[in-house]
Amino acid sequence: MSAVDLTQFHKTFFEESREGLDAMEAALLALDSGATDHELVHTIFRAAHSIKGGAATFGFADVAAFTHVAESLLEEVRSERRAVDAGLIEVLLCSVDCMRAMLERSSQGQPVADAESEALRVELVQLVSGEVAAPVVAAASMVAPVSGWNIAFTALPHLLQTGNDPLRLFRELQQLGRLEVVRAFITDSAPAQLAELDPSQCYLGWELRLHGAVARAEIDAVFDWLDGDCELAIAPLAEVAVAGPVAQAAGESLPVATAAPRPIRETAAASGEGSSIRVGIDKVDALINMMGELVITQSMLSDIGEKFELSQLGRLRDGLVQLERTTRELQESVMRIRMLPIGSVFNRFPRLVHDLERKLDKRVKLELHGEHTELDKTVLEKIGDPLVHLVRNAIDHGLESPAQRKAAGKSETGTLKLNAYHEGGNIVVQISDDGAGLNHAAIVAKAQQRGLIAAGQELSDAEVAELIFQPGFSTAAQATDLSGRGVGMDVVRRNVRDLGGSVGVRSVSGKGSTFTITLPLTLAIIDGLVTAVGSERYIVPLTSIVESLRLRADAVRRIAGGGEVFHFRDEYLPIMRLHRAFACNDAVTDIEHGIVVVIEEDGRRVGLLVDDLLGQQQAVVKSLEAHYQRVQGISGATILSDGSVALIVDVGGVVRLGQRSKAA
Amino acid sequence: MAGKRAARQQDTDEQPAKASAAASVGVDDAARVLLPADCRMAAQAALKAELLGALDAGAIVLDGGQVERVDTAALQLLVLFRRELDTRGGTLGWHGTSDALNEAAGLLGLAQLLNLPAAALA
Repeated sequence: MSAVDLTQFHKTFFEESREGLDAMEAALLALDSGATDHELVHTIFRAAHSIKGGAATFGFADVAAFTHVAESLLEEVRSERRAVDAGLIEVLLCSVDCMRAMLERSSQGQPVADAESEALRVELVQLVSGEVAAPVVAAASMVAPVSGWNIAFTALPHLLQTGNDPLRLFRELQQLGRLEVVRAFITDSAPAQLAELDPSQCYLGWELRLHGAVARAEIDAVFDWLDGDCELAIAPLAEVAVAGPVAQAAGESLPVATAAPRPIRETAAASGEGSSIRVGIDKVDALINMMGELVITQSMLSDIGEKFELSQLGRLRDGLVQLERTTRELQESVMRIRMLPIGSVFNRFPRLVHDLERKLDKRVKLELHGEHTELDKTVLEKIGDPLVHLVRNAIDHGLESPAQRKAAGKSETGTLKLNAYHEGGNIVVQISDDGAGLNHAAIVAKAQQRGLIAAGQELSDAEVAELIFQPGFSTAAQATDLSGRGVGMDVVRRNVRDLGGSVGVRSVSGKGSTFTITLPLTLAIIDGLVTAVGSERYIVPLTSIVESLRLRADAVRRIAGGGEVFHFRDEYLPIMRLHRAFACNDAVTDIEHGIVVVIEEDGRRVGLLVDDLLGQQQAVVKSLEAHYQRVQGISGATILSDGSVALIVDVGGVVRLGQRSKAA
Repeated sequence: MAGKRAARQQDTDEQPAKASAAASVGVDDAARVLLPADCRMAAQAALKAELLGALDAGAIVLDGGQVERVDTAALQLLVLFRRELDTRGGTLGWHGTSDALNEAAGLLGLAQLLNLPAAALA
């Protein structure tokens, strides 16, 4: 490791830059919607400025050069020498995209500048008043190999004691290329009085320039032994426009130059593969607190264990209770570390909506609610695409054109609402629009054409809505690049199901439709109620249980088709006999002797008949599919404390089964 | 303070006689300090004491003609000496600079801070 290996900060730089770009984008969109806030302009400027600074520091000259021009333009806006108009915002939004792409390429070690970024850069340069565009020279310099390096090197006081003499380092640098000392200076930590100087301490710093096609790795090698003994920043000479022959020479040596640092970059990428997560310090503190509690409990228990007498049984019990509580809290704290606000996903929608408005010539007002609702990171990463799809669908299919809306007596601007909130142990994300709603007739016609339903079949609204989730189903008259290619809602549903969630739609013709995604808080552990059915154990997720009750035989009504229902809080619920659904032997078949567990999913309820309730337990969910195969009504399996396997009831699936039997 | 410095100077009496090589300096009343042939770490405590003693003189001439071995610490000592001299309103001149000294000061970019003769920069 060299003194300060900047590559270790690259990942952070990219992450921060992406955040900066997101902030820029959000502020630009806010400006676009008519807000004239100085703070917004400042936000945009600051973001651009830090990206530029970071890019220059970490040697991404192209990014720095591009951002520099954008920043110049923003400076004019900031100093009110340029008015903000739609055109400017459009260009700046494009610049944000471009920078994002450039950073993406930088992070993958690919060439950063491309024709697109160069064209946009030239456009920006032209926009910046008084600056003459010099695309050709600039382009050459942008793709030119490194012609040298800026090295900022400041010794830490103990540098000399480690046997490293800057003199020797500089001699080594001199071997690599022409070394120029731009500035040598005495650091602030140097004693003011010569008398106080300890000659073995070093208080010098240098700004160096090393000219020549030198590979970064070669410089790193020189400073290799100075890790922690100095402050070091190495950046390519950015502004040097290389003349013809030199450029050629440098160009020839480029493969050598890049070949050397490549392995470093790859290993860095590989080690960074496991994505990182930013955790608030409060969450970490909570974790440490829990850990402390755990250690205390542990020492108390081992104390009891060492000299155990029966009289201490009470204390032992207390200790175990405490251990259980602490473990649970610790688990919650750990889980909370993985939780991120859904706002990070929502934030991409203003831009999407902005672009779609232009493209489709519609007017949309986007409302975001519940951005602070926290979701498991894994879920969050995977929910983005389905949400994008639903938002696109809502704008493309759901919302009508301004003319149509006016004709229907609605405001010309459609409203698209994104809402996220907790409900029970689930996260609910809703995408609702005030558009035309699902086109009942078109869906039925399409389904008949595709052979999904028989001609003349009567369908309820819910069943029609269900049809749009069928594979290959799309009613768009022509396939746009947005939607209507028939790959869509089924993929959305599959993605959501993979996350253990469900997606449904409610639609009112002429009033709009609402898509509801319900997701589990976390994927790995559920709180469950262990129930006995015959000799089997089934776990019902606690969060979906409404109530457990014993029914009298006369409370149960038989309905046509063999179904059973019972009266529960002003409605009749179907009874699902779990032993029948899962074919268990020796189970209680008499309803009076069993227990009915009322479960709920998407507002629909079903009563499950089980033999007995055994207790509450946390279950680590193991995929049944991975070990066996998918079973309807079962979402997974877990191992109980006695080592036996229990199956976890898929509430959504069971409710659907139950509702079907009620309808039948 | 002054007594302390004197004591230090006594400790380092084995220093080469300093006046011998400083014959042709224009400033007659300048204090002259001869830099030893080996200016590296081991010699610096003594050199520092000598420089401290010379600080009060106002105009100081350093003789670097015999310097054969020098390190960053030595140059740093001289740079800080020059700085302090400046703040006291004193001046630093040079009587002879060896190639080794010039090369090291040039490489570290300290020639200017040391007020080395311009020719030495080449």
